[in-house]
Amino acid sequence: MSLNIDSIAGVFYGYIPFGDIVFYFTEFSLIGFIIALFFTLVVYLTKPEKQLEFQIGDFGDKLNYVSLEELKIRRLMAIVCGICTAFAMLTGDLFDYALFLAVIGIANMGIVSAVKKEGVLSAAFYYGIIAMISTLPLFGASALILAKTGTLSILELAKNSHDLLFQKIIYAVGMVGETGIAPFYAAKAEMFRAPGAPYILMIHLSSLLIIVRTVEIMLNVH
Amino acid sequence: MDIGKIWNYISKPEVVPRLFAAFLCLILAIEFFVPTTYYKDQLYPKDIPQSQIFKSSLAPYDRGGVPLIKPADIKTQYPQFEPIRGKITAYLTPLSQWLSEKTPYFGTTIVSTPGGILDEILYYTRGMDTILESLTLLISFMIFSWIYLNRERVE
Repeated sequence: MSLNIDSIAGVFYGYIPFGDIVFYFTEFSLIGFIIALFFTLVVYLTKPEKQLEFQIGDFGDKLNYVSLEELKIRRLMAIVCGICTAFAMLTGDLFDYALFLAVIGIANMGIVSAVKKEGVLSAAFYYGIIAMISTLPLFGASALILAKTGTLSILELAKNSHDLLFQKIIYAVGMVGETGIAPFYAAKAEMFRAPGAPYILMIHLSSLLIIVRTVEIMLNVH
Repeated sequence: MDIGKIWNYISKPEVVPRLFAAFLCLILAIEFFVPTTYYKDQLYPKDIPQSQIFKSSLAPYDRGGVPLIKPADIKTQYPQFEPIRGKITAYLTPLSQWLSEKTPYFGTTIVSTPGGILDEILYYTRGMDTILESLTLLISFMIFSWIYLNRERVE
């Protein structure tokens, strides 16, 4: 079966085949790939921020900083998250994309779970619960699409119409729970009081890119 | 109804999973009644459940073929990217060979190779999936072990 490159939105630049899973480049996915990799490099090279907390009604300001052990695990998780985001931009397979989302979700949890603060850990715990329950709609929707169309390749699904509206709704709900909701938790004061700016911002960037990419996939698959 | 109270209610982290679960229940309850169809010409076909049992000792996963000689019956999306597909699906290690002669339930065991049988749909045609599945497990163990090893540390 020949590779269908005509129905994909945007200019098709090339592909990397891994068996049935074909990574393909369009101008959209290439830009997302480069942004994610660039930010991963920024995360690797920069030092984390330090915070100075004022003590109200007391003397002495408190300096919050990221210790070396904490820095190592959080940087590793941020880099894993960045690389997975970059390759999720390229993948041409619905099930593979869902697995990338699962890895990004768990790496997001790893970024915040090293912080030894009760509020941060509890927010990470509740985010973990949402990520866990949303694996059901995410992988369930991939299975439903496979049952209905007989293929998982985005390039093949883009070829002709399959009436996938409801399956796509479940898929999008799964994406929202897995990574789309992460900035909601990160933006909560509990998490932002945790120092370490580039690592927390990785959650935001990956979630933003994943939402945009999911919209692109949902528009291509029909 | 005071809208400020609603905002304050949903701003708590422990409330969001409840709201999300309720939303999910609603969506799935609607989707349950949506009619759907089954496409017969599936990409990764599998035999009807129980149709192979007691006929082959590799019961649910018997795809036929002879290792390196006759390719097994595997259908893939892009055969041009998989020149040697089906060639090693039927391979069994000596230990598994011996075991498969002893028991008719060998296909459901995990012996000497992951999954008992080298399933090429997992390891060759969809190899990237397998990498990501094990990566998820690896990362969760990393997080757990870091938290466990540093449980005594205080800020």
